[in-house]
Amino acid sequence: MMVQRIISFLFLLFCINVNAQQYLAKNGVITFFSDAPMEDIAAENKKVSAVYDASTNELVFQLNITDFIFNDPLMQEHFNENYLESDVYPKSTFVGKVVTIEDGKATVEGSLAMHGKTNKIKVNGSLLYNKKSVVISAEFTVKLEDYNIDIPKIVMYKIAEEIEIKVNIKLNKI
Amino acid sequence: MKRIIIFTFLVSSFLANAQDNLLNLLGGDDEPMYISYHFKGTKVVNGQSVELPANGVLQFTIQHRFGTLNSGFYNLYGLDNSQVRLGFDYGIKDFVSLGFGRSSTTKTIDANAKIRIKRQCKGSVEFPYGIVVNSAVFVKQWKYAAAQEDNFLFSNQLSFANQLLIARKINRDLTLQITPTMVHYNLVDTKDQANDKYSLGFGGRKKLTKRVTINIEYFYQLTEKTNNNVLSLGFDIETGGHVFQLHLSNSSAMTAPAFITKTTGDWLNGDIYFGFNISRVFTIKN
Repeated sequence: MMVQRIISFLFLLFCINVNAQQYLAKNGVITFFSDAPMEDIAAENKKVSAVYDASTNELVFQLNITDFIFNDPLMQEHFNENYLESDVYPKSTFVGKVVTIEDGKATVEGSLAMHGKTNKIKVNGSLLYNKKSVVISAEFTVKLEDYNIDIPKIVMYKIAEEIEIKVNIKLNKI
Repeated sequence: MKRIIIFTFLVSSFLANAQDNLLNLLGGDDEPMYISYHFKGTKVVNGQSVELPANGVLQFTIQHRFGTLNSGFYNLYGLDNSQVRLGFDYGIKDFVSLGFGRSSTTKTIDANAKIRIKRQCKGSVEFPYGIVVNSAVFVKQWKYAAAQEDNFLFSNQLSFANQLLIARKINRDLTLQITPTMVHYNLVDTKDQANDKYSLGFGGRKKLTKRVTINIEYFYQLTEKTNNNVLSLGFDIETGGHVFQLHLSNSSAMTAPAFITKTTGDWLNGDIYFGFNISRVFTIKN
C-alpha cells in the first residue's frame, strides 16, 4: 500500500515536472543575410518551432527550409533547388544546451544540422524570462563550406561565404 | 521496494532521452510539403509547362526560330531565316499568370492565361500531379485593304488553344508532363477541315546538372492527321536571372495553333529548325 502511494506520488510529481518547466514556440523568426559585393540576399522564416526545458537547460529548434521567404522569388527557387536542396534536406535542426546564463546573457552550445551536415556551434545571445514565456534572441554566422553548400565560381561574387543569422523567438510555457 | 527501483530506472532512462523528446514535442508537419520547380522555364520547348511566373514577377521572353538545317550553306543552314516572338508573362497571383506576345512571321498577336488548379504535394496531404490550365487566344493581323472587303470579319482572324497541363516531378531530376490540347480555328482553310483539332502533348525534362536540363516535347495529332506530329528537343541553361533554352524541332512556329496543327517539317527529311528562347525575370512587386 505504502509503495503504491509513493509510486503514484512520484508519477504525479514527474508529470508536473515535465510540463511545468518547458517552453514551446511555433512561430519563431529566423532571418539570414548574405552581404556580398554584387548582391545582398536576405530571407525570413516565421515558422520556426522551438522547445526550451528550463530544468535541464536543453534547447532545440526546428525549421523547414522551404519556409524561408525571399523578396525575390527567383532567389528563393535557387536557394531551394541549387543550394540548400530542400527536396532532399527539408529541415534544419539545432539540438543543444544553455551552458551559461547570467543577467539574461546566455551561451548556448549544440549541434546545428542542415543540408545533410551537422556541426557543433557555440552562440552567445540573450535569454529573458517573463512570467509565462522565455524570449531568446541571438546573432551568429555560419560558413557555407561547413555545410557542404557550394557556390559556383561564376556566382561567388554574389554570395558571401559567411551568412549572418538572426534568431528571435518567444516561447510560451506549456 | 523493487517497484520503486524499476520506476527510478524508468525515470532516469526517460531523462536520458529528454533531448530527443524535446524534438518530438515539436511534432511532425501538419502542413503538406509542396513539390515545386518542375521545369526551369514556363515552356518545355514550344509548348507551355506547368511553371508560372511567381506573383509580382514579370518575365520577358525573346524567342527565335531559324530556317531548316537542310537548307544549305547558301542559307547558312537556316540562320538566314529568322523569326522572332517577343513575349511578356506576369504573375498576378501565385496561381495565375497572364501572357502577351507577338510573332513576326505569322503576324500573330497572342494572349493567354495560366491558372494553377492543383499543386503536387506529399506529407500530410498527398497529390501526385501539378495541374495547370492554359487558355490562349491568337489574332492574326490583317492589312488595311483586307478589312475594307465586304466579307471581312474580325472573328475570322481568331484561333484558340486550350490545354490541361498535368505534370509529375518523379524525382529531383526527372519531370514528365502530359498535355491534352484543343485548338479551335474560327476559320479553317478548306471546307472539309474541322474547326476543332485535338492533340495530346507529352513533355519531360531531365536534369544533367543543377543548372542544365535536357527537354523533350512531342505533340501527337488525335483527330486530323493532315500535318506532322511535332517532336522537339531542348536544352535549358539557367544562369542566375536568365534561362536560355536552345532547341531543335520540326516546327518553326512559336504559337500553339501553328506549331501543333500546321507542322509540315519532317525530322527524317532533315527539316529541322534550330531555335532558342531567352527569358529574364524582373521582380516588379514584392
